[in-house]
Amino acid sequence: MSKNMLLGLCLALLAGRAAAAESAAQALPAQAIAALEIFQPRAVLGPLLEKETRATLALAPALQRATAKPEFQQFQVLVQFLETQLGADWPTALQKLTGGGVALGLYPQQRTVFVAEAEDETMLRQLHTLLWNCAQNQAALAGKPSPATSRQLGNATAYSLGKNEAHVIAGRRLLWAKNLETLESALQSTAQGGNLAAAADYQAARRAVGPGAAGMLYLNMRALKLAPGIAKALQPGGGNPLGALLFAGLGETAGAANWIAIGLHVKPHGLALQLSSDAAPAGTNSPAAFALPATPAAGALPNLTVPRQIAALSLYRDLHRFYAAKDQLFPERTSGLIFFENMMGIFFSGRDLTDDVLAQAQPHLRFVAAQQQFDPAGGTPVYQLPAFAVVLQLRHPEQFRETMEEAWQKAVGMASFTRGQRAEPGFIIDRPVHNGIPFSVARFSTGYAKDLTKLDVRYNFRPALAMPGNYLILSSTDGLARDLMDALAHEGQQPVAPRAQLHGVLELEGGKVAAALRANRGFMVKQNMLKGGEAKDNGAQIDGLIGLADFIRSARLTTGPQQAQLDLDFNWPPAAPRVAQTP
Amino acid sequence: MALPSALDPQQAWARFEPDARQPWTLALAGHLYRRAAFGASWPQLQRALAEGPQKTLDGLLRPAADVAAFNRQLDEYETPPGDDRSATELRAWWLQRMLRTPHPLLEKLTLFWHGHCAADNAKAESAPAMQHYLQGLRRHALGDFRALLAGLVREAAMFASHQAKANRKIQPSPGLARWLLEAHLETAAEPDVREAARAFTGWFIYADGLRYIEREHDAGSKQVLGRTGNFDGDDIARLVLEQPATAATVVRKLYRWLISESAEPEAALLAPLVMAYAKNYDTFALVETMLRSNLFFSPSAVRQRVKSPVEYALGLVQGLELSIATQPLGDALAGLGQSLLHPPTVKGWSGGRNWLNPATVAGRLRLADALLRGGPYIENLNLAAIAQKHGQPAASFFAKLYLQDETTPGHEPDARRAAYATAAQPEFQLA
Repeated sequence: MSKNMLLGLCLALLAGRAAAAESAAQALPAQAIAALEIFQPRAVLGPLLEKETRATLALAPALQRATAKPEFQQFQVLVQFLETQLGADWPTALQKLTGGGVALGLYPQQRTVFVAEAEDETMLRQLHTLLWNCAQNQAALAGKPSPATSRQLGNATAYSLGKNEAHVIAGRRLLWAKNLETLESALQSTAQGGNLAAAADYQAARRAVGPGAAGMLYLNMRALKLAPGIAKALQPGGGNPLGALLFAGLGETAGAANWIAIGLHVKPHGLALQLSSDAAPAGTNSPAAFALPATPAAGALPNLTVPRQIAALSLYRDLHRFYAAKDQLFPERTSGLIFFENMMGIFFSGRDLTDDVLAQAQPHLRFVAAQQQFDPAGGTPVYQLPAFAVVLQLRHPEQFRETMEEAWQKAVGMASFTRGQRAEPGFIIDRPVHNGIPFSVARFSTGYAKDLTKLDVRYNFRPALAMPGNYLILSSTDGLARDLMDALAHEGQQPVAPRAQLHGVLELEGGKVAAALRANRGFMVKQNMLKGGEAKDNGAQIDGLIGLADFIRSARLTTGPQQAQLDLDFNWPPAAPRVAQTP
Repeated sequence: MALPSALDPQQAWARFEPDARQPWTLALAGHLYRRAAFGASWPQLQRALAEGPQKTLDGLLRPAADVAAFNRQLDEYETPPGDDRSATELRAWWLQRMLRTPHPLLEKLTLFWHGHCAADNAKAESAPAMQHYLQGLRRHALGDFRALLAGLVREAAMFASHQAKANRKIQPSPGLARWLLEAHLETAAEPDVREAARAFTGWFIYADGLRYIEREHDAGSKQVLGRTGNFDGDDIARLVLEQPATAATVVRKLYRWLISESAEPEAALLAPLVMAYAKNYDTFALVETMLRSNLFFSPSAVRQRVKSPVEYALGLVQGLELSIATQPLGDALAGLGQSLLHPPTVKGWSGGRNWLNPATVAGRLRLADALLRGGPYIENLNLAAIAQKHGQPAASFFAKLYLQDETTPGHEPDARRAAYATAAQPEFQLA
């Protein structure tokens, strides 16, 4: 079949299907490395295009800087012209031009193809004509040849308005690429190799994200794994210990998958991103089995809740099994862990780290980070870091309690001794009691401090060890240790059930993250002045980050052996950005 | 270049007034900014060209901007945590200050005194102590040298740098006393050093800083520099200042710093300056005389110093009119032989031709290349846009900006290549 015949067939197919389109991906070649498709553009764009939202976003410093540039002002003139000619403001026009769905495909050699499914075919053609005339008129005014060209591809015409743009309009569908060659190649590939929407993997991915999804990011893992860097990263045992512990199973899933899909679900004032793939779940013999809930009802415990909490993470991890599998999980790092094991041998008086120490922990790890409260009478650090803690459950607390206490005191003693060798103040170990439970806390004396309102960073730390019941709390501060003892006591009165088959639950509150960032804004801006160069810009970047954190009311990431889901709830509409002094 | 053999001191130190024979040029404006500042931007050079040498010097010596307010703000920014043992950030803040200050001459002189009274954080291991030392240098950099020296003999960083953290009556530490005598009198007799060290007994560095413990002070009679008495550290500084050699030493060092290090000046040339300086140790007046002089603007001074790594790098950056990440720059400068707050010896940096060897020259070019690419130092660097902003073609602009010379007309390379080629010129190594 000749090239032109193929293209003709493809365009006919394209235009014919456009009338009863199911997916904008029908116009993309099947060989995509990755593709982003928005099935319901109105659901995604609608909230962003609301007048109040646009007004708030316009106040963002980054946007204000961008809009102040002459290039943007020229662009704005063009938009106003198009609005007048199309008879609709730009948000309305955008929705009418994309309302049927959009898709963006990424292909080898960084070629991209974009498809938009218009609701209003007349407006789409009107826009094309306006831009075509604009390009010709501007060139004529400048006394230059027009950059607008066209070429016949089968029975349709492909247009280019310049060297970085080419498009075809077939019915209500717009197909766009960076140049005519890419466009032609895409049409030819679709005609010869089929379209993405019809590919078996893509269809499976769509089924996995569900009919309610407003969009989907599709990753063709068969193609991506051909890249040496990605293939190496996904090899079993290529990771580091912390990564292997936190992202247990996810790397293995990505390595075994032919495709991965991230479904986008729009909720009232929020979003959910759901990851799925065709990889088989890790077996009980897999190195990642340490994160597999042992029974159908087993899983990560609900997170603990403490006052001023910023974030909490609950993991289902069998630490004994994890460390026993270190030669499979991170073989390149195990020789480097010898020092760590020797240190643990010192702290735990010659016990084996894997069998005698880690085996004492049940497979429930819970981490908490919270803002600190400082008593002005006791002093306030100049930079205020959040407190953080880990909570474990012990299998044999009565056997392990003193071993753990001894190891903790040795570690604190060693830190004091090391500081003492440099004539620096060491820790003082106290043994306070909270609700009848004695616990240990190491603190720095403020007797040396010249100014209690500007204490050194080290005063953010008052390491504490508490072992209420069968729990073990290791906290960076005694305040958080006390709050956790209260939370565990509350949990004891109202026992909680594990989240069946989930091995990780991360929750954070954007407002608290923003408050922690805001408390240290000056410090971060100053650091950026030294390490980033542009004081003003970096201040704006940090303000942008604070604004984003403020916007996210809550975020929740749940992971299981085969799936992961991120739920984001927003403070909608976004609040106007606060303008801060730099630094 | 050798100095003319019969240089008339009166003529040499008289104010430079340009005339047809020795006109005020862009090249001389560049020379002034290399010595009295850390290089110049294009607008600064153009303003200097329009205003003439003496008015430009008025601005460099007595800037109209609120320097005290600027320094207060930077003091606040740079204040390290009380337990910070590393001076890496303090060093980075100092580089920021050199670039942003409305009074670059003050920072240039602060750098000079850091070389003369070299404290080393590798020995002090205290960023707050180094900040205090640096603030003291800055306070008196263009002031009364007597006050500067009096402050230095009470500075914890100086005691620590001269291995005199504990000055016991029974075992005086000679380091600080030796520096005080040798740095100002060129040579010091060992008995003078021993006796002067006794005067510093009683001073100890503790967690809260330098402290004087009366019972550890040797209150006996000491004989130093031909004088006898129950001297303490302050007295030794005073005795040093009374020596005629002290003023001569400082004037000679400042001559090398501001005018020329390629030829040794005759005593007669420096005599009027030494005489004036010995009266009241007014560093500002001395610096002003040197900078305003015929000699300063003569061929005997222009390009008669090798730039230190700090001058080399900041000279490039000033021309770009952009902020820069000074933490990685501080590390890079250390690699070129000038680690601020960590001099190689208590005598500071030897300077001059010692800055240049095959390794450091290659290092300078690597740094210039990285700076002009943006590297880890500068965000959004667009050299062509800088030239364009000033209505200049990129290739000739950077040659004029950095070397104040015209380039050969012809094919013009892109902006980065042009700027880099300029930075690689032997002339750009000279101040």
